[in-house]
Amino acid sequence: MDQILVQTLHGLVNGMVLAMVASGLTLIFGIMDIVNFAHGDLLMLGAFVGASVLGVTGNYWLALLGAALVIAALGAVLQVTTLRPLIGRDPLTTILATFGISLVIQKYALWQWGPSVRRISEPVPGDFTLFHLQYPWYRIATAVLAGLILGGLWLFLKYGKYGIWIRATTQDRLMAQAMGIPVPLVYTAVFAIGSAMAAASGVLFGPFAGVTQTMGFDFTLRAFIVVVVGGMGNLGGSILASIFVSLLESYAAIVVSPAQAVIVSFVVLVLTMLFRPTGLFVPTPK
Amino acid sequence: MLVLENVDAHYGKSHVLHGVSIEVRSGEVVGLLGRNGVGKTTTLKTIMGMARRTGGRITFEGRDLHGVPPHGLAGLGIAWVPEERRIFRLLTVLENLRTGLDRAGMTPERREALLEKVYTYFPILKERRNQAGGTLSGGEQQMLAIARAMMLEPKIILLDEPTEGLMPRMVAQIQEIVHALHRDGVAILLVEQNVPLTLDAAGRVYIMEKGAVRHHASSAELRADQRVIHEYLGV
Ligand SMILES: Nc1ncnc2c1ncn2[C@@H]1O[C@H](COP(=O)(O)OP(=O)(O)OP(=O)(O)O)[C@@H](O)[C@H]1O
Ligand SMILES: [Mg+2]
Repeated sequence: MDQILVQTLHGLVNGMVLAMVASGLTLIFGIMDIVNFAHGDLLMLGAFVGASVLGVTGNYWLALLGAALVIAALGAVLQVTTLRPLIGRDPLTTILATFGISLVIQKYALWQWGPSVRRISEPVPGDFTLFHLQYPWYRIATAVLAGLILGGLWLFLKYGKYGIWIRATTQDRLMAQAMGIPVPLVYTAVFAIGSAMAAASGVLFGPFAGVTQTMGFDFTLRAFIVVVVGGMGNLGGSILASIFVSLLESYAAIVVSPAQAVIVSFVVLVLTMLFRPTGLFVPTPK
Repeated sequence: MLVLENVDAHYGKSHVLHGVSIEVRSGEVVGLLGRNGVGKTTTLKTIMGMARRTGGRITFEGRDLHGVPPHGLAGLGIAWVPEERRIFRLLTVLENLRTGLDRAGMTPERREALLEKVYTYFPILKERRNQAGGTLSGGEQQMLAIARAMMLEPKIILLDEPTEGLMPRMVAQIQEIVHALHRDGVAILLVEQNVPLTLDAAGRVYIMEKGAVRHHASSAELRADQRVIHEYLGV
């Protein structure tokens, strides 16, 4: 019983971080029909930038903000230089382009920071005791912070002028253009926002397991799975799917080893593709 | 104000418009009639930069539209009400209107005034302002599409078959709006299948056939001599 409660908490915390990673990926997919295979690598790069800022300033919150801003700018530059010219071409070309970006970022990180693990120290110290288990406050703080950031993103999309531009463009690019919405700029901005979300998740996740230049792929994969399970391009669906899949993995870890529990997400992915390819957490399309 | 000179357009390899020349003067309502598939919608899309113009020239207030990005047309004063309406289905009615309202240079007072104005034209939209656009009826969607275009305070509206599929009461309402816009000095290029409505609303009419303009006359002339209408439209 205790164990179930602990694993629920664990699953929720992981789910919130994953939701942040996936939100950027799904936002970009929704509007541009691009699966950004460099998403996890932008996360990794953000984590490294955060670790560096932390090393210099000693301020975690500054590191979080700095990483988000730097990677947002990088994302904007990447979009303008590599993806914008490919708009209207075969989707395969953008897939290859984001794969290329992914490799370049990984090699850059290897060259810049080396292969060893960098640690990001926890900004919120201390543990609390949940039954007989020690649970770090930082994990709770992370989940709350992720929730706040996602909430902020949601409010921005729902009520902000630019949020409405983004949603209108996602639904009908040509009509959005006809209404005077500068669609190319919206694309770049969304890519920047998605990149910033990835970087922020990297800094948030950093204290959990450290930062390595190979951590990106795993995040890309996991985020991709929940984006598909949640319904491609559907923000709310991706968030629910993140929590759902993370909880399932957590519970599975009670019976099998955590490494094996990862299989659960693939099972969910395959079942979704088989029985509900439009996504689990979206209304049935008419 | 809006001048098309010998415009050609292609979809891929198929040649759809053959030297279309049309002029709409400031504040004028001009009709564009023709059977299905003659290229009326394509003419509007070519103006909007959404169909590939392969020849000729399109100018607006003397300015060549070639090289103006598609999102730049609204700022020049050109609004488009597409045949399929293209409501942002997941956006509420108010959010649909905001896509045209949230632009540079708008003050809160002007926004308010503009919204109130379309709400007096279309009271139903005020009632439904927080409802998703996709859940509106066909007629309501048509009204929203027109209201959304009005949010841009355009100099000209390209209006593509606004009464298609609507019941008579709705048709009358759309006709009323066209008159009201005309009184406000907004020019309209009106594509229609409804001949009486077009002859009533427009001062001049172009008739298209097979991707080209075949006839051009004032509405008064066409009303007086219905043979042309019979010949080209079969009604
Ligand atoms: N996207 C497209 N790709 C290829 N051909 C197209 C496309 N859209 C239209 N066409 C073709 O171009 C021609 C002109 O079509 P258009 O839609 O302009 O006609 P229309 O006069 O608006 O007809 P309607 O009264 O039915 O709306 C038609 O033969 C049509 O099949
Ligand atoms: Mg048409």
